[in-house]
Amino acid sequence: MHDRLDHGFMNDESRQYDPDEAALGAALRALPASAPARDAWPEMASRIRRRKVARKAVWFTLPAAFAAAMALTLAWPHLHQRAASPTPPRVAMQTSSPAARPAVPDIGALQASSQQWQAWVQKLDRNGAPLDGRQLTQAVALQDRIGLVDLQLSAARNPSTTAGLWQQRITLLQQLGLLHLQPYLVATQRPANGDHLISM
Amino acid sequence: MPPHPALRPFVVLVHPCSVDTPTNFQQTVDPDLIARLQRGELAAFELIYRRFERAAWTLALRLTGRPDIAHEVLQDAMLKAFERARQYRGDAPFAAWLRKLVVNEALMQLRHDRLHVIEVFDDTLAVDESPAPWMHADAATLERALNRLPDAARAVLWLYHVEGYTHVEIAGQFGRSVSFSKSQLARATRRMRELLQPQLQMEVTPCTIGSTTAS
Repeated sequence: MHDRLDHGFMNDESRQYDPDEAALGAALRALPASAPARDAWPEMASRIRRRKVARKAVWFTLPAAFAAAMALTLAWPHLHQRAASPTPPRVAMQTSSPAARPAVPDIGALQASSQQWQAWVQKLDRNGAPLDGRQLTQAVALQDRIGLVDLQLSAARNPSTTAGLWQQRITLLQQLGLLHLQPYLVATQRPANGDHLISM
Repeated sequence: MPPHPALRPFVVLVHPCSVDTPTNFQQTVDPDLIARLQRGELAAFELIYRRFERAAWTLALRLTGRPDIAHEVLQDAMLKAFERARQYRGDAPFAAWLRKLVVNEALMQLRHDRLHVIEVFDDTLAVDESPAPWMHADAATLERALNRLPDAARAVLWLYHVEGYTHVEIAGQFGRSVSFSKSQLARATRRMRELLQPQLQMEVTPCTIGSTTAS
């Protein structure tokens, strides 16, 4: 970078000396400095504080988001299948031996997992970036589906059905969480304006 | 005591490096203060902000020609200075680094808003041999004329004459050719002459209209 404070004008070989132009330059340089109409520092300080808070939220949510995304990627085929087919898994035949009987998922573990996911989603909802219109619609649709699952859970008696519904609830919560993370994912992918201009 | 009028040409032709620029980016910043800024201390940044606010504002205003855009430029450039302070490695004076941020931000704003409207300069126009009117124009008149220039021409004129950018550097900033920079500078100079000439003529010969109608 050329620093005019160090090098001065005469380093520019293309700068031809013309008395008129030199006079114009001198006249422009002699213009008095101006000042903004109002003190802009409070606005500046406020912007910095807001950005600090937002950044903190991102740093808080990104590791969680990464972990969630990894878990979701690994479990997706299985979870997707369950979410797409709300029909509870078939109950094992009564005549089969205990060893051949399919294991009923641990409902307690599923409930705990559901609680964790819900707490995470609520935290994202409170501290995260606001959703745009389309995302908000999707979020409302997902919340409706979770409400429907909750309704079915309250009526479910069969352990397998209950387990399936809990699993479905977890999947929906994961989808809701990822939806809340979309603004951050978009923000990290967007190049900063004017970065290419700064070459120091 | 004002200098004798006979000394004026010598005052005007003084080497630009020895002239303190009105944007006053020639202040040095204490390395400790920079270190505090790089640690993200808001108090340190406020000191720097206050010290360079006028300089940054003036530069932004001169480049953009509009107070509302200059305000945005000031805010955005200063915010970048705070957030990217760690990128400053001390190769150049801090003030120069900050000034670069302001220039970049101003040109970006202009590019977004209006700079795409660049008037084509006709190189075949004859060179104006009339005496330079800016030598006698007061600051307010000069400032008005500057603000009436097309955006690109004004920005090139200011970067070249006041900030000391070369044509190559200006071309780089605008993402255009060196001949673009040269033609915009020539256009700006010619336009400044046009804008300042009639006013000065009117000031010098206020009875011109009366004498014309009498003949």
